[in-house]
Amino acid sequence: MAKTVHQDQRYLVALLNNDAGLINEIYKKSAGKVKSFVIFNNGTANDAEDIFQEALVDIYNQAKYKDLQLTCPFEPFLLLVCKRKWLNTLKKKSVLQVTNSEDDLLLIGEDTFEQAEQLADQAAQSEIFLKAFEKLGERCKEIIKWSMQGDAQEKVAEALGVTYGYLRKKKSECMASLIKLVQVNK
Amino acid sequence: MMTEDKILWVARYVEGDMDEAEIAEFETQLKSDDELQQNLKDYNHIHQSLKMKLANNDEFKDTLKGFNKQYFGEEPKVISFKPALKWLSGIAAILVIGLFIWAPWNANLYDTYADDSQMLVTERGAATLTDLDKAAALYNEKNYESAKTALGKLYIKQSSNTMIAYYYGLSLIKTNALDEARKVLIVIYEGESVFKYEAAYSIALSYLKEDKKADAKTWLQKIPAGTTKYELAKELLGKM
Repeated sequence: MAKTVHQDQRYLVALLNNDAGLINEIYKKSAGKVKSFVIFNNGTANDAEDIFQEALVDIYNQAKYKDLQLTCPFEPFLLLVCKRKWLNTLKKKSVLQVTNSEDDLLLIGEDTFEQAEQLADQAAQSEIFLKAFEKLGERCKEIIKWSMQGDAQEKVAEALGVTYGYLRKKKSECMASLIKLVQVNK
Repeated sequence: MMTEDKILWVARYVEGDMDEAEIAEFETQLKSDDELQQNLKDYNHIHQSLKMKLANNDEFKDTLKGFNKQYFGEEPKVISFKPALKWLSGIAAILVIGLFIWAPWNANLYDTYADDSQMLVTERGAATLTDLDKAAALYNEKNYESAKTALGKLYIKQSSNTMIAYYYGLSLIKTNALDEARKVLIVIYEGESVFKYEAAYSIALSYLKEDKKADAKTWLQKIPAGTTKYELAKELLGKM
């Protein structure tokens, strides 16, 4: 059964529309909390800034390219995504003492965990696909990269100095090579 | 059909590299072919996931950068001195206070505190200079008369672009069109952009320039702690 979309979906729409007023509201509510959490757990304000931006970009990407529908409230979702990101960073640095404030996580619904999990999986997969993409030939990389810039494909063809028909043909071939690369490495 | 061919077939379908007959054939096959359905799903997933990494999202990131500065900027920390040093710092403080009372530089608070930041226009790799690039260059060369004209034109066209509005306001202040400047800056202050408190600060400075200290103070006090201009505003309030 499809879950109902939470009213906080409006924050995702704000990210997509680059709506400074609502984005400011997101920062006002959550930036301080993320900053305290990171600083309390062996980080700096700069680390917190990076984590916060990464989380927002991940959410933006998921909303823009995979049509993310929020079924949980936005703020706990964002905070959970940030916490996980920071805990992962610490794990990589193998700093073990982490004050894991599980008590406040208890207040978070199952939906929030599920969506945060999906977001993390998606980000990891994008990383894998990018690595496969890097292995393609220069011409293929150029064609795929340009065609993904969001501009009309006719314009892309013009910029690359090829016909629209050629662009479609070449992109299909390049994307097929990419997908084979991904499947081989699975 | 081999799996490999199916992948290319899906790619050609999605990218529109098929004629009508082929599309019809593909769609008929799709209905009964589980593998082909899975291939199509994988294709869209990989395509969109890769797009997350490759598509241009500079505009969104620029917005975030502005807010990052506002919400994650560090305020200077309070440093505690050892007891012996306290005496020394006490003496130093008295000297400093003395200097402030004497304040030979006070006459020129405006010059000391005016916003002399450079107008940074995001490069987007364009080979030709846009009107915005040209206006920014004039501003950065401190050719404020010409910058005012150039930014004024851009401001009329894109009055919701707060960066243009802000630097237009600054060039108005620098060329002593103070009332005009405040009209432009108040709009920014009343909005929710990254230049909100920068605008409040500059309005304060515009009053300072005509020696209206009470008005200047009122505007400086609107700048909340934690924002970029807060420390400067506090310092300036202390000297007035």
